[in-house]
Amino acid sequence: MVGFNPDHGLFSYGLGALPPDWPGNYWLHWGLFVIIIIVFVLAMVMAFIYFERRGLGRLQVRLGPNRVGPFGILQPVADAIKILLKEDIVPAKGDKLVHWWAPVVAFAPALMIFAVIPFENGALLADLNIGILYIVAVSSVSVVGVFMAAWSCNNKFSLIGAMRTVAQIVSYEIPLGFSIIGVALIAGSLSMNEIVTSQNIPFILLQPLGFLIYFISACAEMNRTPFDLMEAESEIVDGYHIEYSGMKFAMFYLAEYVEALAISAIITTLFLSGWKGPLLPPFLWFLIKVVLIFFAIVWVRGTIPRIRVDQLMAFAWKCLLPLALINLFITGIEVIVLPQPLPWLIVFLNLAIMAILVLLWSKFFKLGGGRVEV
Amino acid sequence: MAIRTEPFVINVGPQHPSTHGVFRMRVTLDGEVIVDMEPVLGYLHRGIEKLAEGRTYTQNIPFTDRLDYLASMTNNLAYAMAVEKLAGIAVPERAEYLRVIMSELQRIASHLVGVGSFLNDCGAFMTPFLYMFREREKILDLFEMVCGQRLTYNYIRIGGVSYDIPEEFLPALDKFVREMPGFIDEYDQLLAENEILLARAKGVGILPKELAINTSASGPVLRASGVKWDIRKADPYSVYDRFEFDIPTGSTGDCYDRYRLRIQEMRQSVRIIKQAAEQLPQGEVLTRVPLRLRPPAGEAYGHIEGPKGELGFYLVSDNSVTPYRFHVRAPTLINLTALRDMMIGWKVADAVIIFGSIDICLGEVDR
Amino acid sequence: MEVDDIAKQYVYSDTELDSAEGEAIESLKAQSQQPIPDSDKWLSEELRKNILVTSVDVVVNWARRSSLWPVNFGLACCAFEMIATAASRFDIARFGMEIFRASPRQADLMIVAGTVTWKMAPQLKRIYDQMPEPKWVLAMGACAISGGIFTGSYSVVPGVSCIVPVDVYVPGCPPRPEALLYGIRMLHNKIAKNSFITEST
Repeated sequence: MVGFNPDHGLFSYGLGALPPDWPGNYWLHWGLFVIIIIVFVLAMVMAFIYFERRGLGRLQVRLGPNRVGPFGILQPVADAIKILLKEDIVPAKGDKLVHWWAPVVAFAPALMIFAVIPFENGALLADLNIGILYIVAVSSVSVVGVFMAAWSCNNKFSLIGAMRTVAQIVSYEIPLGFSIIGVALIAGSLSMNEIVTSQNIPFILLQPLGFLIYFISACAEMNRTPFDLMEAESEIVDGYHIEYSGMKFAMFYLAEYVEALAISAIITTLFLSGWKGPLLPPFLWFLIKVVLIFFAIVWVRGTIPRIRVDQLMAFAWKCLLPLALINLFITGIEVIVLPQPLPWLIVFLNLAIMAILVLLWSKFFKLGGGRVEV
Repeated sequence: MAIRTEPFVINVGPQHPSTHGVFRMRVTLDGEVIVDMEPVLGYLHRGIEKLAEGRTYTQNIPFTDRLDYLASMTNNLAYAMAVEKLAGIAVPERAEYLRVIMSELQRIASHLVGVGSFLNDCGAFMTPFLYMFREREKILDLFEMVCGQRLTYNYIRIGGVSYDIPEEFLPALDKFVREMPGFIDEYDQLLAENEILLARAKGVGILPKELAINTSASGPVLRASGVKWDIRKADPYSVYDRFEFDIPTGSTGDCYDRYRLRIQEMRQSVRIIKQAAEQLPQGEVLTRVPLRLRPPAGEAYGHIEGPKGELGFYLVSDNSVTPYRFHVRAPTLINLTALRDMMIGWKVADAVIIFGSIDICLGEVDR
Repeated sequence: MEVDDIAKQYVYSDTELDSAEGEAIESLKAQSQQPIPDSDKWLSEELRKNILVTSVDVVVNWARRSSLWPVNFGLACCAFEMIATAASRFDIARFGMEIFRASPRQADLMIVAGTVTWKMAPQLKRIYDQMPEPKWVLAMGACAISGGIFTGSYSVVPGVSCIVPVDVYVPGCPPRPEALLYGIRMLHNKIAKNSFITEST
């Protein structure tokens, strides 16, 4: 709890301090950043929806939306306005209160993650010294929203979909957490700002295996292909939002993209050294890196088929988790044995270890399920 | 302590998110495992067989188009062969060659859709499906050049084909035949060794050889189980005995085999088209047949190897202008007989894949 | 074998389910003998003079026609021309319509592509009812318009307008993708003439 200032009263106790050169009081800082974050998130989500549809179009040898506004950039706006004005349908036999609260519980945590993402050196809403832990904790809450949504629909299919989704999200949080600990070990702190400032070498080079595990687990957390059985359009269940229409559906739809934005921002901060970079202003570097990661996510979506639910669970528990543990073990040894800050030698060492481990695991671990003897 | 579980029944369909049309399955599940399955058909039953009894033989050709609407050329061909057998009509040489070219092009088009839908069901989000549609558009362009229609052609008539090919057809066909093997290789490489596809499709939905033969399966479903049976070789019709081609067969009869088999069949079709285009003779294309054909009383069965299996037409005539009985031996309906045995023991997600790998077309199943 | 024992205990008897389905079909058939007349109040002169198309209407109608989401309702041959329209060559995604929603609750437009049989009719009505307002129906192909080549058959509905009100008819057997796109443009024009304010009354 750096720099506790008793003048700011009870509300700022334990929330970390303002940067020392910040003029004005705590509430001005808070208000400004809340506005910045909301504008940033909404604008970037619209842009992401547009990029995804155009990007998927290019991957699939076709154009995407290009009629609505010049080059189609007003398409997400049209989508949003249309969805807002749709009739709102509430299932008659479902639990109405739960039905109302589910989108909120699913959407709000994704937005709350942005409180600790640094846009520039020291420019975040709250420089918590437990930044990463806050993120992991908050993003786990959205699972409850998913299950509430499915429960209130009073529909067999959405229950099946929701159970699969909950199992998937909960299983993939564990390798996610372990890969983050590797980063925290090297940086020496859980605070997001400090993680960025301590990246002389971007952590993607120091923790290639960690990056890979984080990327895959994050795709699973966001329910994106190859892990999107929840939205599996060519399977029997359409998932938990099968009975939602109008604004509530819009919240689920947007929540997926806000989570994608959040994950891209987290990956940028943890692995790609956030806002650091020569020449251009830091905020621009941050944006470029976020967009790059998002393109990688869209690329994966357009290319790879979907895996089955038991294969998905097997992959998380038998493949990702042991790899994450080994990664942690090796990182721990490196941090203790070698001097801080870590030398460039480690990059090659880690890359070699990652290559060996991945090859080894793919030899011995096959995704095939098998027929159940009935 | 064993947890008490209860099987429950869910409905898959009739409105599908995938392209298979209105087919419904009542699946009994125990957790995620399929315990029983019952197909419910009839959502597209239009009464074609009964309607055909009120129309003349030539007026029935558009009905045959709409049976398996992805393979209209081959449907027309089977029907025309049955009527020609019934009435004893000879077909000119040029027409026979044109029929073969059209049938093989149609086979490629149908397999493109079949493979694309299968990959779409596996979850590869439309990308391979759209690539295959790109090729299919080229074939549909060729068809449009010949008869003006993209989907239901009404081209192969009783006694030959309706129009001769225009001049730009052969160069365009040549270009297509040169480019297609490259694209087939691309599809092969796209996903053939993909780990996820192998995990989802290899060893899934196995149809053993004896069961395939006992349930009268035909077409790629039969050949993937290891039975080398193709009507083009076993009972050659039209001019197929003049061409050289192989019959690919699978070994295990799982979904992966069926998928690879269709891709290999496309290669063989390209081979046949090349040979037919080279050997195409000159001449007329249609024997004059009276509009209200009145064949002698009797019965005939004309069958061909369609893209989905053995398509046969059984016609009974009582010497009037309309058929007395018009029966279709629909390959996909008969292939569906084995579906229940293929599905039991697998999981819910596999149900759609197994069903997609049989590649059915509802117009034919329900007629 | 174990499978059959489990199956016999818990599966409902097929005859019960089938006869319930049959009764639903028969009652729908009895109700749907007359086609629902096409709504032409959007053409009427008096109404047009009375509606002031405000700027709110312009924006709302623009949004609604720029992102019409169709529900998958391909039944027969026309379905493949619809899929070809959504494929790379004709690309319905340019108009923002590439998201074919699987759930009717999130869709605006139902493209009925293919022959509708009496057995399928209750499902069609159910899906239409599940769609939230505002919703539109496009009848694609001769079979959806009037029964097409199968008119007079004992099991074919003579035109989907017997069951649901239709906004745009696209003739053809099957209609080319260009024809379907033209029909969709007609629907866009129709939506542009809507009035958000008076419709909710």
